[in-house]
Amino acid sequence: MTIAVAALAVTLLQAQEIKVPLRFDYYYSCEKMAEAMKALNRAYPELTTLDEVGRSEEGRIIWALTINNKKTGEPLSKPGVYVDGNIHGNEIQAGEVCLYLANRLLTNYGKIPEITEVVDRNIFYIIPVVNVDGRAHFFDDPNTPSTNRTIRIPVDDDRDGLLDEDGPEDIDGDGSITNMRIRDTLGRLRSDPADPRLMISVKPGEKGEWTRLGQEGIDNDGDGQVNEDAEGYVDGNRNWGFNWQPPYVQRGAGNYPFEGTGIKAIAGWMLARPNIILVFAFHNNGGMYLRGPSFKAAGELPQGDIAVYDYIGKNMEKIVPGYQYLITWKDLYSTYGDFTDFTNNLVGSYSLVGELYQPETETYDGTLKRKEEERSQSGAASEGERQRLLFDDNVNQGELFKEWKAFRHPLYGDVEIGGWTKMSSRLPHPFMLQDLVHRNASSVIFAARQTPKIKMDVFEVKKLGGDLWSVRVRLVNGGAIPSVTYETIQNKLYPIDKLSVAGRNAKVVSGGVLTDAWMNMVSYKEFRPEVQMCQVPGFGKVEYQFLVSGKGDIEIKYESRKAGTISKTVALK
Amino acid sequence: MKISTFTAIRGLVLLFAATFTAPLTAAAAEIFKDTDPTASLVSSPPIEKYSDPATVSHRIEQLRQANSSLVRVQKMAVTPGGRELLMIEIGSKGTSVPAVLVGANMSGLNPLATEAALELASRIVRDAELNAGLTWYIVPMGNPDAYARYFTKPLWSDPGNARPFNDDTDDQTDEDGYNDLDGNGIITQMRAKAHDGIWIPVDGEPRLMRKADASKGEKGIYKLYTEGIDDDGDGQYNEDVPGGTNVNVNFPHLFKNFGRRSGLYPGSEPESAALLKFAFAHPEIAMVLSFGQTNYLLSPPQGGRKGSVDTENIRVPREIGTAMGIDVSRSYTMAEIIEIVQPMMPPGMQADESMIASFLGLGAVVNPLPEDMTFYNEISSDYKEYLKKKGATAERFDPAQPDDGAFEMWAYYHLGLPVFTMDFWGLPKPKEEKKEGSGITSESLGKMTSEEFVALGEEKIAAFLKESNSPAQFTAQSLIKMVQGGQMKPAQMAEMMKKMPPKKSDEKKGDPKETAQLAFSDTWLNGSGFTPWKSYSHPTLGEVEIGGFTPFRDNTPPESMVDSLLDLQLPYVSELVKRLPKLAIADVKTTEKGGGVYQVEAWVTNEGFLSFPIAMGKRNKAPAPAIMTLEGDGIDILSGKKRTPVGEIGGMKSVRYVWLVRSPKKSALTLRLESKQAGNDSEKINIGG
Repeated sequence: MTIAVAALAVTLLQAQEIKVPLRFDYYYSCEKMAEAMKALNRAYPELTTLDEVGRSEEGRIIWALTINNKKTGEPLSKPGVYVDGNIHGNEIQAGEVCLYLANRLLTNYGKIPEITEVVDRNIFYIIPVVNVDGRAHFFDDPNTPSTNRTIRIPVDDDRDGLLDEDGPEDIDGDGSITNMRIRDTLGRLRSDPADPRLMISVKPGEKGEWTRLGQEGIDNDGDGQVNEDAEGYVDGNRNWGFNWQPPYVQRGAGNYPFEGTGIKAIAGWMLARPNIILVFAFHNNGGMYLRGPSFKAAGELPQGDIAVYDYIGKNMEKIVPGYQYLITWKDLYSTYGDFTDFTNNLVGSYSLVGELYQPETETYDGTLKRKEEERSQSGAASEGERQRLLFDDNVNQGELFKEWKAFRHPLYGDVEIGGWTKMSSRLPHPFMLQDLVHRNASSVIFAARQTPKIKMDVFEVKKLGGDLWSVRVRLVNGGAIPSVTYETIQNKLYPIDKLSVAGRNAKVVSGGVLTDAWMNMVSYKEFRPEVQMCQVPGFGKVEYQFLVSGKGDIEIKYESRKAGTISKTVALK
Repeated sequence: MKISTFTAIRGLVLLFAATFTAPLTAAAAEIFKDTDPTASLVSSPPIEKYSDPATVSHRIEQLRQANSSLVRVQKMAVTPGGRELLMIEIGSKGTSVPAVLVGANMSGLNPLATEAALELASRIVRDAELNAGLTWYIVPMGNPDAYARYFTKPLWSDPGNARPFNDDTDDQTDEDGYNDLDGNGIITQMRAKAHDGIWIPVDGEPRLMRKADASKGEKGIYKLYTEGIDDDGDGQYNEDVPGGTNVNVNFPHLFKNFGRRSGLYPGSEPESAALLKFAFAHPEIAMVLSFGQTNYLLSPPQGGRKGSVDTENIRVPREIGTAMGIDVSRSYTMAEIIEIVQPMMPPGMQADESMIASFLGLGAVVNPLPEDMTFYNEISSDYKEYLKKKGATAERFDPAQPDDGAFEMWAYYHLGLPVFTMDFWGLPKPKEEKKEGSGITSESLGKMTSEEFVALGEEKIAAFLKESNSPAQFTAQSLIKMVQGGQMKPAQMAEMMKKMPPKKSDEKKGDPKETAQLAFSDTWLNGSGFTPWKSYSHPTLGEVEIGGFTPFRDNTPPESMVDSLLDLQLPYVSELVKRLPKLAIADVKTTEKGGGVYQVEAWVTNEGFLSFPIAMGKRNKAPAPAIMTLEGDGIDILSGKKRTPVGEIGGMKSVRYVWLVRSPKKSALTLRLESKQAGNDSEKINIGG
C-alpha cells in the first residue's frame, strides 16, 4: 500500500509545473486547478478572461474561465455555453472534463476549423470546480470515494445539539478512510472463497465470520454511535431556487434556497449572462447524460424541447459509447432544488447533466465491459466485484484497494481495516482519464455546434400600389437548438425574440406571421405591428410579412437574448 | 324566523362592535356601534395619518434612543427601491432566552399592521412582563417599497416592491401603469359599454356591478377596466404597472413559480432573503407573529389542499415495499411503518415520522397537521371569548387565508413553530333585512348535540338546507336518519356546510364584500371610499365612466379608529406568549441498585400550553432540539446517554428519562436541560458514598 501512495505522490509531483497544453494524465488539486486556469488565461489573453465568481463557505475562490473571441462580437451578443463540474466535492474528474474542454478549444483554435467555428460563434463559460471546499478537502484529507460531497455548512445530523462532531477518521493513519470489520462467528458475513478480500452473506446453517462496522472511525462524542454526525450535509445540487423543498422532504436541501454562498454567487453570475442557452453540469458516476425534469410532479417538458434533447442526447450516446441518455426523475430518482432545473427553468437554457465514469469498464475477462455490474442484493459477491479487484491487482498493480489489516480499535478492540481507497470506485485511474475527458468534452462541443445560428433573409419587397409595400422576412436557424426554449415561452420567463421594422419615412400598417407564403395567409397582429415577438425553431424558420406605407430605407432588426442581433436595411423602391 | 346571510359570508365572524368597556375615542366609539346605514352620516374622519416609511424609520429610531438599554435596531436589507428593511430588537438577554419574531405588513398593503407592530414595540418596552424573559424581533414594515405607495398621489395599491418587472413580457418594462384620468388623486375603475361586455349594474345599487347571467336571459352591458390609458399602444390597459415582487408571496412554502408578483425564486428579494437568513440564524425564535392580511385567531389556518399526505393511510411505493418485504397492495399507518422499519435501522438509530416521510418520498406537508389544529382552535375560541368580554361582538367579514408563499405559511411549515396572525380590522357585515328563515347557522349547528338537531324537526332542517345551498341528495329526512343512526354528528355536518360554495342567487345582489365596503364608505367615510361613476371621454375607449372603490379602504380603517383597535387587540399578544412551551426538570430521583450502581430518574415537564415542538416542528425537525445532559465526576453511564435529545413533550405533560450510572465513590451529579426555545433548567443530586 505504501507503494501505491508513493505512486500517487509521484504523479502529483510531476504535475507541479503547469504548462499549456495541459496534461490530463493526473488529477489536479483544487489549487492546481486554479493554476491551470490561470495558465490558460495567460497563454490566451485575447480569447479568455478569468473571473472570480464568488467565494465558498471557507473563503476559497470559485473561478470561471470565459472563452470569447472579441473580434467576432461582444460577450452577450453570442449564444452562451455554460459548463461546470464538481458541485459534489468528491466528483473530481468533472473538473478535469471542464479544464480539458477549455484546453481543447484554446489549443486548437485556428487549427481545426470546427473548433474555430464553435469558438467564434459562441461564448463559453467554464467553472471547473463549483464546490471548491469539497475538492480541496477531498485531496487534502483522508476520505472515502464518497465523502466531502457537500458544501461546508454544518448540520446537526443526529440532533444532539452539536454540529458535525462525529465524522469518520483515518484511525490507521494511512491517508484513506476505508472500512472496518470484526471477526464474529455470529456475524452474518463470511469471506468469499473465490477472493477472501470480499465478503458474502452466510446462508442459513452456515457459520459466520465477520460483522461489518462501517467506515473507519471512533465514537468522538461518546454517544454510543460511530461516525453519526459527519461534516455537512448541505448538498450544493439540492440548494438551487427552482422547486426547492426543505430538508425533511429533500435531504441536503439546506434551510432555504441559495443558502450556500458559492451556489448563490454562481446563480447571480449566470443570471447576469442571459445569453446562456446551453448548460452542462458534470458529476460522477454511472455513464449517463441526464435531462430534466428532476421530479415527477413537474410533468413532461414541451415536445419541442424534448426533440432538441433527444437529438443531442442520442448523438452523445454515440460519442461516448456506453453512456445512456436518460430522464432524471424517470430513470433515476426525483430530486428537488437541482442545478439543471434552475438553469432549465429560470435561465431558459437546455441543460444536461453528465454522470462521468462507468465502473463496469474495469474488467478482467478480456472484454471492455463487465457483464455483471452490481453487487446482488443477497450480499453475495458478484462476478463484477471479483473482476474489479483483479483489474486493480493486475492493471493498477493494486494501487487502489487497501488490503485488510489488523488494527486495535479503542472501542471495538481487534478489528480489520481495509477496502477501496478514495481515488477508486467513482474515478477512473488516471491512465483512463484522457479518454473520459476527451469524449465528454466532445459531447459538449457537439452540443455547442447546435446553438442557434440565425440568418435573416428579406425575401420580398413588393410595391402593392401607391406607397404601400409588402416586405417579407424569413429567419432561419441552422442549429438544432431554437432561439428560445419552448419551456421559456410556456412559462413566460422573459420577453422572447423581437423582430421590428422601422423607417424614418415609413409606417408599418400591418404585420404578422406569414403562415403560408403561397396562399398569402398572414396571422396579423392588431396592435404595434412593427414589433413582432418571435422564436426561431431549431433547424427551422419563421416568416413574417409587413405592410409598410412610405418610402426610403427601412431597418429590419432581429434581437434575441440568446441568439444575438441581426439588422438589415432595405430600400422601399 | 329570519334568513341569515351566512351562506354568502361563511363561518362565524366577529366585528369589534357594540359597546366597549375600554375607553375609546369618540369617533371610534361611534364606529363600533351597530349602526343603521341609512342613519345620518357622521363627518368623515381624517384617514391619511398612517406613518409613511420615513416616519416609521424615525419612530423606530426614537424608540431606540429613548430605551437604548433595551432596544437595538438592525438594518436587515436594502430594498430594490433603496429603502431600509429595519428590525427592532427588544430585550436585555439576547439569544439566551426564547424569542418572538414579528413580521408586519409583508405585502405592503396593510398600513394598520405597521402601526400595530410599532405600537406593540412600545408596549413591550414599557412592560417588564414581556421584555424580561423574552427577546423580540419586530419587523414593522416588511415591504417598504410597496407600502410607500400608500402615501403617493394618485393612490393605487400594488404589493410589488420596486424591482422592475415586465408583466406582459413585451419589449418594455413597467411601461403601462395606471393614469389618474379624472384627476381625483385616486386610481379607480372605468366602465365602458361594449358588445362583449359581461357586467351589468347590481339591482337596486347601480354603483356596484355584477356579471350578467346569460342563462337567465341577461345580456352584459359594460366592460370593466382599471383607470388609465393604453400607454404603449398594445391594445391592453395598465397591463405593465410598475411593481416587482410581493415580499409576502416570495417565501419558500408553496412558492408559485412564474407568478406575476412571485419573484424569480423563493427568497429572490432582499427583504425575504434577509428574513430567511435571520430566522435560521436564530434558533431561539419560539413563536412567530404576523400582522397583515390574515387572522388565525379568528380564522385558524385551513387545510384542504391537495397533495398532503394522510399519515394514517400511506401507500408504500412498490420498489421500496418489496425491498422491505411488505405487502404493497394495502396501506399502512405511520406507526405501522415505523414498527416495520425500526428493526432495519442501524443500532442506536431511531426511526421516526420525519425520516419515514422523507424515505418514502411523501413530499411536503401542505395542510396544517391535525395535532396543531387542536391548539389553533382552542386559542381561537379563547380569543373570541376575550373579545366578547371586551364587548366586541358584532360581525365582520372573515379574514382572508394566507396566499401561497406567504411569510406566515413559511414560518409554520418550514420553521415548525407556532404562528399566529392578526389583521386588527375587517369590514363590518352590513345588517340584513330580517326575513323568515330556519334560524340555524353552521355555527349554531356545530354546537348542537345529535338530540338537539333531531328536535329541530324536518321543516326547519329543510329550510336550513335550502338556505345553505346543499346538494339535492341531502334531504332533511335522510340527515335526521343519519344523525339518529350515529353516522354523522351535527359538528361534522357544520364543517361540511362551511365548505359549500355560496348560494348562486346572492350574486344577483352583487359581491357581498363590495356591498359591505360601499355601506362602510357611505356610513363612515362620508362616501369618500367610493367615487361615483362620472362620464369621461377616453382617448381609445371613447365614452366611459370613471368611478369605483378607493384602494385600501377595505382593509385600512380611518386613523381615528387605530388606537382603539390596537387597545382592544394588542393585549392579547401577552396571552399568546404565555402559551409558549416551558421545559423544566420537575423531579430527580435516584435508586441504589447495589454494587455502586444507581438508577437516575428525571421527570421533564412542559409547563406551557403548547407542545415542544409543535407537530409540524416534529415533522420537519427544524426547531433546535432540547438536550438533557448528565454529568458527574468519576461516573460511568451504563445505560442512557450523556447527551439525551428530549423528544416531543406535549403541553402540560411530563416525560420520564432514566439512566443507569455506576459511581464507586461519592459523586455529585448534574442534570442539565438546555433548550433554545423552551428554557433551561438544572438539578444537582448526590450519589454514592
